[in-house]
Formats: sequence, C-alpha cells, structure tokens
Amino acid sequence: MGLEMPVAEGKSVQQTVELLTRKLEMLGAEKQGTFCVDCETYHTAASTLGSQGQTGKLMYVMHNSEYPLSCFALFENGPCLIADTNFDVLMVKLKGFFQSAKASKIETRGTRYQYCDFLVKVGTVTMGPSARGISVEVEYGPCVVASDCWSLLLEFLQSFLGSHTPGAPAVFGNRHDVVYGPADTMVQYMELFNKIRKQQQVPVAGIR
Amino acid sequence: MPVIQTESEYKPPVNGSYFAHVNSADGGCLLEKYSEKRHDFECALLANLFASEGQPGKPAEFSSCPLNSDEDVNKWLHFYEMKAPLVCLPVFVSRDPVTTGGLFVPLFLPRAGVLSPLADAASMSGVRAVRISIESACEKQVQEVGLDGTETYLQPLSMSQNLARLAQRIDFSQGSGSEEEEAAGAEGDAQDWPGAGSSADQDDEEGLVKFQPSLWPWDSVRNNLRSALTEMCVLYDVLSIVRDKKFMTLDPVSQDALPPKQNPQTLQLMSKKKSLAGAAQILLKGAERLTKSVTENQENKLQRDFNSELLRLRQHWKLRKVGDKILGDLSYRSAGSLFPHHGTFEVIKNTDLDLDKKIPEDYCPLDVQIPSDLEGSAYIKVSIQKQSPDIGDLGTVNLFKRSLPKSKPGSPHWQTKLEAAQNVLLCKEIFAQLSREAVQIKSQIPHIVVKNQIISQPFPNLQLSISLCHSSNDKKSQKFATEKQSPEDHLYVLEHNLHLLIREFHKQTLSSIMMPHPASAPFGHKRMRLSGPQAFDKNEINSLQSSEGLLEKIIKQAKHIFLRSRTAATIDSLASRIEDPQIQAHWSNINDVYESSVKVLITSQGYEQICKSIQLQLNIGVEQIRVVHRDGRVITLSYQEQELQDFLLSQMSQHQVHAVQQLAKVMGWQVLSFSNHVGLGPIESIGNASAITVASPNGDYAISVRNGPESGSKIMVQFPRNQCKDLPKSDVLQDTKWSHLRGPFKEVHWNKMEGRNFVYKMELLMSALSPCLL
Repeated sequence: MGLEMPVAEGKSVQQTVELLTRKLEMLGAEKQGTFCVDCETYHTAASTLGSQGQTGKLMYVMHNSEYPLSCFALFENGPCLIADTNFDVLMVKLKGFFQSAKASKIETRGTRYQYCDFLVKVGTVTMGPSARGISVEVEYGPCVVASDCWSLLLEFLQSFLGSHTPGAPAVFGNRHDVVYGPADTMVQYMELFNKIRKQQQVPVAGIR
Repeated sequence: MPVIQTESEYKPPVNGSYFAHVNSADGGCLLEKYSEKRHDFECALLANLFASEGQPGKPAEFSSCPLNSDEDVNKWLHFYEMKAPLVCLPVFVSRDPVTTGGLFVPLFLPRAGVLSPLADAASMSGVRAVRISIESACEKQVQEVGLDGTETYLQPLSMSQNLARLAQRIDFSQGSGSEEEEAAGAEGDAQDWPGAGSSADQDDEEGLVKFQPSLWPWDSVRNNLRSALTEMCVLYDVLSIVRDKKFMTLDPVSQDALPPKQNPQTLQLMSKKKSLAGAAQILLKGAERLTKSVTENQENKLQRDFNSELLRLRQHWKLRKVGDKILGDLSYRSAGSLFPHHGTFEVIKNTDLDLDKKIPEDYCPLDVQIPSDLEGSAYIKVSIQKQSPDIGDLGTVNLFKRSLPKSKPGSPHWQTKLEAAQNVLLCKEIFAQLSREAVQIKSQIPHIVVKNQIISQPFPNLQLSISLCHSSNDKKSQKFATEKQSPEDHLYVLEHNLHLLIREFHKQTLSSIMMPHPASAPFGHKRMRLSGPQAFDKNEINSLQSSEGLLEKIIKQAKHIFLRSRTAATIDSLASRIEDPQIQAHWSNINDVYESSVKVLITSQGYEQICKSIQLQLNIGVEQIRVVHRDGRVITLSYQEQELQDFLLSQMSQHQVHAVQQLAKVMGWQVLSFSNHVGLGPIESIGNASAITVASPNGDYAISVRNGPESGSKIMVQFPRNQCKDLPKSDVLQDTKWSHLRGPFKEVHWNKMEGRNFVYKMELLMSALSPCLL
C-alpha cells in the first residue's frame, strides 16, 4: 500500500532529494537499487469523435519498474487496465484512434530504499530534460487495506519528511476498506504527474 | 388339334393340324389330318380363339361364328368350329412353335362358352347355333409402343424371306419316297404348270381321297416339312404336358440288367489304378509347390529384401523421402530439444553384394550413412580432482575409449550405428549447453572452458572437470586410445544425471504448462504469461523463474557428492583410528540429489545401553553440514573436513564424561559436579574439556574425571583423611570423626588400569572403591 506526494523545494531538486535520502539512510533504510515510473499521454483521435464535437478523452499509459512485466493504461476518472508489455505494441497499431500528445512524456526516477516493512522510493520527476519536482512513494508491505494503516504511514512519513507531511490522498476517499492494488498506485502517480504538469515552472512556495 | 397358320394374302395357309371335324356325310366325328384331306385352309374349331393373319393395322373383329363354318370362309377372318376336345383329349391347344411367316397364332384356351360335346352334337343336328366370338389378338407383332401410344409393328417377312427361312430348316439328306415321287411328279408337273391348274381342277373333282399333285416344285419339300412340323409339334406338346405333371407323367421303363462285362476284376483294377493316379498327381503337385517355396525362403533369407529392411528401420526411426533420397532424423528435436544440429542420416541401398560368392552372415541390404561429426562414440566425463597446480595442464583431456555399450543381440547393425550417433549428438548438446552457461553465468570463481573441457571450482583446492570424450572409429585414433587413464575418478552418477537433466529440459519445452499457449503470447511458463496482466512484482517473478541452469545444477550435485564422500571418509577414519569410544554411522537409504543424512552414535563397547547420550544426526547439504544433537542443539558446520573431525572428537571426549555420569547412577555413586565445558585446566585446542566428580555411596571416596579431546583423561581419586599417611597432624582437629572426611586427591595411572575401555576401567575403579557388602 503506498502513496506519494510532491515535495516543496526551497532549494534545488537535487539537493532536496539528497536531503531526503540522507535522512532515510540515517534512519536505517538500506538502498536496494533504482526505480522508474513513466507516463505517456494519448488523446482519442478527432476522427472518432462524434458530431457534437465532444472533447477527446485523455488516456495515460504508464510503466512501473516495480512491476516490470506490466503496463498500465488508465483514463482520468475511468478504469485502469493492467496488461503485459505487448500493450505498447498495441498502442502503435491503434495510432488511428489514439494520438500521442506531444511532449507529454513524464517520468520519475530515483532510488529505492527498504526499511523493514516499508519501501520508500524517492525520485525526481522530469519532463523532457528539465526536472519538475520530487516524488516520494512509501509502501507498507504487510497491509492491503488502506484505512488500517494510514495512521502508521503518516507517522512514518513524519519521521523523515518533517513538516511536509501531506494529508490523506484522494484515492482513499470513498474506498477505505477495499483491498489496495497496483492500479491505485498508478492512479496516484497519474494525479501527481498531472499536477506537476500543470505547474509550468518549478514552484518556490510549498504546494500541498 | 388345330395348329394352324392363318392364311395371309401372300401365301397359302399351312394347316398342319389334326382336324376333328364333323363329317358332313355321316355327322360323325372324324379325326384326320386336315392337310391330307383338304387343301384349303379350313378347319373347324370350337373355341374362342384369336386367329390372326398378321395383317398390319387390321383391327380384330368380333364376329359370330356359326357352328358349321365350313361353308363360311372369310378372307380376313376365319371362323372355326371345333368340337370341344379340350375336355376329352389330353392334348392341349398349343401354340405353333414354328413361327412361319412371323405370324403368331395365339390360341387361347377356351373360356366359357365351350360347348359340351353333347351340346355340340346337338348343335350339329341343327339346334340353334351358339354364337361364338372370335377376336384376333393382333395382326402383326408389336415391335414397340411409342410414347404417345402409337404402335410400331414388325414387318412380316416377304415371301422370299419366308421361303428362305423354311428352306434352311429342310434336311435334304433325309427324304421320303413320296417326296421323291412328288418331286418327280413336281418336276414333271412343273412343265405342265400352266396346265396343272386344270389338272388340279380335275383332281379336285376327283374327290377328297386323292392326293393333290404338286402344283409347284417345292411341294414335296413342303409336305415333308409339314409332316415334320406336325410331328415336332406333337412332341412338343407332349413334352410340355409331361413337364407340368398335372395330366401326364413319364414313367421310367424298367430295363433289364446289363449283361455282365467279361472281366470285372480287370475293370476294377483299371479304375483303381486311375483313381490312384489322380490322387498321386495331386500329391505330387503339392509337393512340388512346397519344395519351391522352401527354396524360395532360403534364398530370401540370404538376400533380404530392401523394402522389408526399410520397414524395420521405419519402426524405430523417423524417415522421409526427399527426391530420390531417403533421409532420417536422429536428433531429439521432436522430443523438445533446441539444439541446432540437423541430425539427418541417409538410408542407402547396399548393392555391393557379390552373388557368386557366399553371402556373408551379417549382410544387410540397407545401410545408413550418418553425419561425419557424429561418428564414433562419445560420453561425458565428470570428475573431481585435486586442483592441478599447473594451469597449462588444461586442455589435455584424458580421453579413453570406453567400450561401446553392448548392443542387444539380434539388433541389426544400423540400429547400433544410429544409437551411437544419437548418443554422440546428445553428449554434444549437453556439452554445448554447459559451456554456454559456463561463459554466460557469472560466478565468484569463473568457470574455464577449454576445448572440450569445462573446469570449475566447487570448493577450494578442488576441481570439477566436465569433458566431452568423443572417440571416432578411425584406426589412427585407436592407437592413442590404448593408453588407459584411470577411470576411477569418473563419476558415473553425474554423467547419468546430466543426461537426465537435459531430457528434463527437453520435456519442459513440450510440457503442458508451455503448450498450448495463445498465439500472441511469448513462449514460456503459463504463470509467467499472467505476470504482466496481474502486475507481479519482482519477488513473485523471481519465484516463478527457475534461474538455475544445467551447469549450476550439476555443480551443486557434484558438491554434494563430494561433501558426502568426504564426510563418510572422515567418520570412517575416526572410527578406525580411535577404539574408545566407538563411533558408528548409520547412513539413510533415501537421499536427495542435494541432501543426504547420516546418524552418528558414539558408544562404549559393552556399555551401549548405559552410555548412549551422544547421538548426532548429520544432514549433509551442498555446502554445509547441519548437526542436530540429541539434546536439541543445532550446529552448522562448513564443508571443511577439519571442522567435522574436531567436532566429532570433542563429542567423543564428552561422551566419556557422560558415560561416567551414567555409570555412577548405575553403581550408586553420587554425582557431585558435572560440567560439559569446564573452564579450568589447560586450554584445549579442539573443543572444551569436560569434568565430573562422583562420590562413593558411603562417601568415603570420590572420583574426579576430567576429559579433554586433546589432553585426554585425567582421573583423580579422593581418599578419606585417615587413609592418607602423609597428612600433617594438626592440633586443631581434636575429634576423630573429622578424619573420615575426604582428603587429598591422588591421580590414578589410568593407562595401567585394567580394562578394555574407559568405562570398564571406571567401573572397576568404582567397584574397587566401594566396600563390598557381605
């Protein structure tokens, strides 16, 4: 079960990341390699739109190195599809129906830390060559129901994030007692990326 | 009986019938041949009959017929009257079998309306005539009936045709006198032909009796024919009646016995001889056939058919025909192998057979040609040796020609050849797989692949070499192969396991987990295919994948084998070296490729029931040995030989002290102190020393034992004070009771003690120090 949030940067992105990682290492977490989550945006082609000219829907195709053989496809408020990596090839074939939005690829890369039952991933969100923000994902392995461990997660976050601890993510809004799955993680990432995309430049003030 | 031919316009009617008619003269009934009497075509019939001339298109006409129709002769229809002979006479009206002129006169049996003879007679005498209807069946025979109902009639034969037919039936060889006379008369009359008519008239006037002279040259012929015809018709009638058996039957005429032949014996002899000859003929024919088939079989055995041999080959190997050639497949590709070798062999006909010379015993009309790189025999040699100090020794593979496995008796030579080639191919595949993995897989100590040898180091100072020994059948290489290397270090078990592993790998490619699989999915385990859509994380994926290759597996197996053998050697060496205490090892029968177990007991001879506290279960794994003690401790030992030895030695020393403890219980001595790992005294290099102090039942004596693995055993006895002479007298102790306390210790010369082993000696000591109760 995990969550992530953007982090305010008083300093540069890199420095903040370094700060976080140092804190984690002091806590006792052990580094376990790197991770990468990326997202591409597609919108439905104009030819398939009806005569009313409704706006095309946006579809996000995401990959997560945590699930190396899977590919996630999701709409904004719609369903999330988990497929295997052949889905990317399928998207090429569906060029007529889904067109890639230009300069839309956004990804986050960073290191992966394991602290007993917690899995912490601190990554830099980049869009093209520029770094736009930081993402921190915390996963508590043993629990699968969100509502049961939210308080524990919060406490853990406070221990190394300090003042930047966020509130409960929206994905838990109405589904507290449902089993958490990888799709929920990807939905959170999608929201995060959208938020970061909307901010055109690196913000100075804290956001959440 | 009327057998008539009706008159037609072309020829005179032939009336060959017997005619029963009413003689107008006397009113009686005369049965006479009509033709003899009359020349005209008159006959009286009393029947319903259809008379036809066969004139084309003429419809039948019904007309009544007066009784006496002699006078009434109609050109077209002839009315006949006949008595009713059908009831009386046994001869039926029958059809004229001679179809002269193609006219059939189907005469029907009289139906109702036949008058009785009485009535007939009555009618003859002038009673009212009964009208009889006659209807001609048809004028001409119908050839066919058209689709619209029109009938096509057969054309009647013309006069000349008819005549020709008649003439054919004449038997000119047989003539009657009257015929000749008639013929002569006919010839004579022929010239008088024009005048014959008058003479005929004259004759007519002469009366009925006189035979009419022939009016034309064929007359006699005609008469003869007519008579013959009549006779034939009668015969036919008789026969048909007889066949029916209703009105007439034939009875055989009893014949006289044949006169006896002159020589009955001769006849019998002749007949017997003939029958015997017939039987002999049959037998001879059969014998001839048998001998022929036997010789054929013998010939066939020597020259076996190519096709039958090919059939035998097909029962064992896959063959296919490519153009002119017959190719076969001896690879394992159909069993799941992915080795790229083609593995095709060619089947050729063996034609170098010299028929003049004797055919050799092992001649086979079929020969197989295997690829040149699969010739000879091969095997994989797996051996564990001490590491060769010189790395330059690598590559000098010690080949030795292992004797070919004995082929099954009776199997043809191509079978052994193909099996050997297949084995070579499999060994090549195994070695290729191993060398590929040796290069790709990263391990702490890299594996070396040199020529046909793979060398790896499972343990330090140890070298595992896997080599592909392929010896071809050339005479040249056989010379070198005679120098035999010691085959003792060849681990047959591992070679066999390699074969098993590669076959396991083959099966995996064809297993039901792999196939069937969706066309779009990649090849692989079924759960791996699901790992994408079900978002497996890395742990789950790793658990699915069997990451071990062939080389790793075989190295693990080799390690285990080596560790197991070394453990056994260690235990055995200890057992042979140390007699007291005894060490026993019970190896379990059921083992795994990666794990074996042995139960080690340390006992003293003679005291097995008392001193059995040291029992160890050793689980020998791939790289370490896990020891489970009887008291519950679990100790993990590494692969080092020395560790196990030291451990066992320490256990042995502990055993001695434990034995004393048990013995004390039995003997009634009290245990004052016991320690497995005593901290006093000299430090042991192996393990720890253990010590025990026991006191005699009455407390007078105490025995103190200290046993260490290295330092051995040290036994001291504590005597009561009053037994020690060299104790200084002291004024402090006034009471004599204090002299009963135990005082100083004295060491026992243990090696001078009597007794087979430690525990026995101890027992003796204890018993010596205990007062005997008498």
